[in-house]
Amino acid sequence: MDDKAGLTRREFMKLAAAGTGSLTLLAGCAGPKESRWVFLTEDDALLLGSIADQIVPPDEWPGGREAGVVTFIDRQLAGPYSRFQADYRKGLDAVTGTCLKIHGKRFENLPWEQQLSFLKDMEAGKLAGDAWKDGFCSRFFELLRNHSMQGFYGSPRHGGNRNYVSYKMMGLDYPQIVGQNRYRS
Amino acid sequence: MSKHHVQAVVIGAGAGGGVVAKELSVAGLSVVLFERGDWVPYDAHDHDELISQRTTVLGNAYGPDDERYRRVVVNDDGSTSIVTPSDGAYNNVAACVGSGTVSYGAMGWRFMAEDFRMKSVYGQVEGSTLEDWPIAYEDLEHCYEKAEWEIGVSGDAKLNPFASPRKKEYPMPPFAYNNEARMLESTMKRMGLHPFPIPMLRNSVPYSGRPACVRRRTCCGFGCPLNAKCGTHNTVIPAALSTGNCELRTNCVVSELVIDGSGRITGVAYFDQDNTKQLQSADIVVIAASATETPRLLLNSTSKQFPSGVGNRHDWVGRNLQGHAYTGAFGLFEEDMFDDVGPGATIAVSDFSHHNPGIVGGGLLANEFTRLPYLFSGIRPPGSPPWGKAHKEFQRRYFRRNVQVVGPIQEMPFFDSRVQVDPGVRDAWGIPVVRLSGHRHPKDAEGCDFLSRKAETILKEAGAFQTWRHGSGIGLSGGQHQAGTCRMGNDPLTSVTDRYGRVHDTPNVFVADASLHVTNGGFNPALTIMALGYWVGEYISSQWQHGNRFT
Amino acid sequence: MIRKLSTVSAIALLALLAAFGGFWWYWGSASPQSTCASCHEIENSSTMWAQSGHRNFHCKECHGTAFSNGLHSLKEKAMMVVHHFAGKDMRGIRLNEAQVLEMMDNCKRCHGTEYAGWLSGGHSATYAAIFLSEKHNSAEQLNADCLRCHGMFFAGSIQDLVGPISRKGPWTLATPEKSLQHAIPCLACHKSHRGGSPSEPANYAEPESVFYARRPAPAAPLYYDRYEQTHVEAADLPVLRVREGDRTVNSSEDPLQRLCVQCHAPNAFHEAGTEDDRTPRGVHEGLSCMSCHDAHSNDAKQNCINCHPAISNCRLDVKKMNTTYADRNSPHNIHFVKCLDCHTKGIPPKREP
Repeated sequence: MDDKAGLTRREFMKLAAAGTGSLTLLAGCAGPKESRWVFLTEDDALLLGSIADQIVPPDEWPGGREAGVVTFIDRQLAGPYSRFQADYRKGLDAVTGTCLKIHGKRFENLPWEQQLSFLKDMEAGKLAGDAWKDGFCSRFFELLRNHSMQGFYGSPRHGGNRNYVSYKMMGLDYPQIVGQNRYRS
Repeated sequence: MSKHHVQAVVIGAGAGGGVVAKELSVAGLSVVLFERGDWVPYDAHDHDELISQRTTVLGNAYGPDDERYRRVVVNDDGSTSIVTPSDGAYNNVAACVGSGTVSYGAMGWRFMAEDFRMKSVYGQVEGSTLEDWPIAYEDLEHCYEKAEWEIGVSGDAKLNPFASPRKKEYPMPPFAYNNEARMLESTMKRMGLHPFPIPMLRNSVPYSGRPACVRRRTCCGFGCPLNAKCGTHNTVIPAALSTGNCELRTNCVVSELVIDGSGRITGVAYFDQDNTKQLQSADIVVIAASATETPRLLLNSTSKQFPSGVGNRHDWVGRNLQGHAYTGAFGLFEEDMFDDVGPGATIAVSDFSHHNPGIVGGGLLANEFTRLPYLFSGIRPPGSPPWGKAHKEFQRRYFRRNVQVVGPIQEMPFFDSRVQVDPGVRDAWGIPVVRLSGHRHPKDAEGCDFLSRKAETILKEAGAFQTWRHGSGIGLSGGQHQAGTCRMGNDPLTSVTDRYGRVHDTPNVFVADASLHVTNGGFNPALTIMALGYWVGEYISSQWQHGNRFT
Repeated sequence: MIRKLSTVSAIALLALLAAFGGFWWYWGSASPQSTCASCHEIENSSTMWAQSGHRNFHCKECHGTAFSNGLHSLKEKAMMVVHHFAGKDMRGIRLNEAQVLEMMDNCKRCHGTEYAGWLSGGHSATYAAIFLSEKHNSAEQLNADCLRCHGMFFAGSIQDLVGPISRKGPWTLATPEKSLQHAIPCLACHKSHRGGSPSEPANYAEPESVFYARRPAPAAPLYYDRYEQTHVEAADLPVLRVREGDRTVNSSEDPLQRLCVQCHAPNAFHEAGTEDDRTPRGVHEGLSCMSCHDAHSNDAKQNCINCHPAISNCRLDVKKMNTTYADRNSPHNIHFVKCLDCHTKGIPPKREP
């Protein structure tokens, strides 16, 4: 939203046209709100929330989901982590598929202990199925683990660590109170 | 932008190149200083842990970027991978004016006299190209002093009995210890060691018009909002520009040296900020592009006279890539050790730098820079769960109660650890990229084992109820301390440059970065790179003033 | 023929005006969810607004319309449309500094007293007063950290604001129009979308409700974090515990004080009295900044009377004592003064009235 003053008349006409045009476009936007996710589907987000809560479980402090880990991962997948998009599509589908096959339920509907042991199998590369071949199993778990940690402990500007909750949990002041140096009146 | 002939081009505005550019332009030579990156204001990347130079998961704060740069890494099984700069395997150094000196932890160490005479002190090491430098500590002493005073170091030299002799004190007093350093100081003294405040390229008091450090926690890996960290970007490069003799060309990527029919280097070819190929002719070319990019440039510059690259007649360019295995120990304590006084690292001992029984060289030990929350989430004792309930509990219980004592071990140069150019892969400008291969010498593991045990003993003595050691594995070394790939030497058969950094066979091409290091010491190398910048710059300018045109 | 044409065009013009007027009326009266917030880019913001104390106000009452600040807003809205169709994620959209400053004119329509207080105090300083001050600039080199507390909404780097970056002037602002702008605007410590309830005007027909309406609204300051471009609730800010030798000073946990110390801070070791630390010690230890200072003017003129002499141990007229309150050059800083500073030979026994 930088204000670069000094428009030419031509630019102004273009903008005015675009501005007026945009009013007529509103009708097109008035439908149901777009998904709050940039990359994930609602199902993906539910699943990822449950996984994030296993990686950083809620206790007296919020867990991964509440701290915004899913938002973090969603935004990064549309940005710096776009190289992992295919892995996430494949991996999240495979988690759901494997869970349905073993337990007849989606991961997010499993009891806590079953979720935990599923993820431990995944970490150890022990899940069976074509999708998990060639080390993808533990590699995808590693991605989920690392990205959840980044979302929980990184800067809130990326969508996670809501209100610097992890800093508070760890007793790390934010913002750090630091003197403004030697200037004295 | 003027393309008229200049007397010198300097490639790379980092620790070495910034200093050379200043030395030459002050001496009256016309200079063009090339930098592939740009000036980076603090606000562009403030204190975001995930985009810093230390934790690069979402990108390098100070470059290079993942879009235009790549490298090839040869894996243990002989297969190759293409990696981008935010991947650790890329062995990245920052791409901006000042390079690593903008975001470094800023330890300002001098090497010791022994570090320049490793073969004489320790003898031949099997399987290693360990060698003495062609210059001695005494040759470089005045250059260290110049670096300390012109760029700025805080410290107290009297407290380190192992340091090699110096003529002048540091220009600024040392930094006060933080809580863990105060605790370590009494422990180390009790153990008969000789602790002292780490010399820092950081203002402990206002210096050169810039303010003193306020000790924020985000320092190592970050730029300084106060301009209190001393790099080449806020000292020698502005000094070079203010002479009026030096032009800094940012966002310019030098692709090769221009070689005429007689085999003389007449300038450089580069891509300007609009990615248009340009030529810049010069009498002298100084390459200071880092220990990976300097050999790449030489190897990419071929001609009839230099079929395998400039300076590479005997296949030494790109060889002996080394860095520092960082080794040490963590300790957990019952009470808070962390007081959030940045940047964390304040105290060191040099007791284990040399003359350790059975070890070639050694390393300093110091407390570590503040480990920010994400970085800390990867720090666990062996066997501790890497995620879940217990991981989270550890995170909140021990973030304020852990201390790390750590140091860089002197690595043994290894001929087959090397930088080549990849025959197939090119970067965004179409320039063949760096190909990295090799591994560490087995001796390095012995050094790590030795030094990390010492670190662990200190932490135990300090009262840690649990300790564990860490080393650096046997993989390829380099990283931000990369060095050694265009070693200096008296014998053209076993070195790339002479004792003044001049590339053998080419009278007017110089190297002025850590590529020159014959060995990399047991210390962070920044101040030594700066000192070499003065050493090379001083030689060129004094020769120039005596009428030598390097023809 | 010409007459027919002019009739047609007159009707067309009327129709256009009616359409536009209708649209204008609709835009001004319909709920933001069906107008401004139909651009999902500002969904977060409008959700916060709907839960805020300002929820009874329409967007334009604080933010104006696309036409209220000239080309800038029009251009901005047009660019939003462009970005929307380019698929660019604009959900991190923020007010820019010009908009923050313009909004203050609307803040003061209701918060006139607070605005006047702020205008009379130090926090309404202009860019010129802060960044062209020879006293500041020659004492310490201008740097990026200045912007953390002064000019926190400025969108560029310090180099974009003022030069030269050196202790030797003369300094000039890169854009002269900045010189009279306020560097610490309302939003530095407030957020108009902060959660809360609208204040109800007192209904004098029901005296009981008047009593409850008189309840002072809870203080609602926040710290604007320039780096995260977001506000931090004062209650979420860390409490500063300064050290005096081996002792930890007993300091107030008042959220407002936590806000003050973000900028009026001691050195990194948090040693009492260093740098800009004014944490009360001595006779005033434990008091909050707000015990004496007015939040907006920062004035302390009438505050002594709240405690003195009514419950003073000394029964002296404290306003006439030799402290920095009476005289800026007094050696006895009102923030740190101890009984022993004046009673150097020991504290005398209490006098009977």
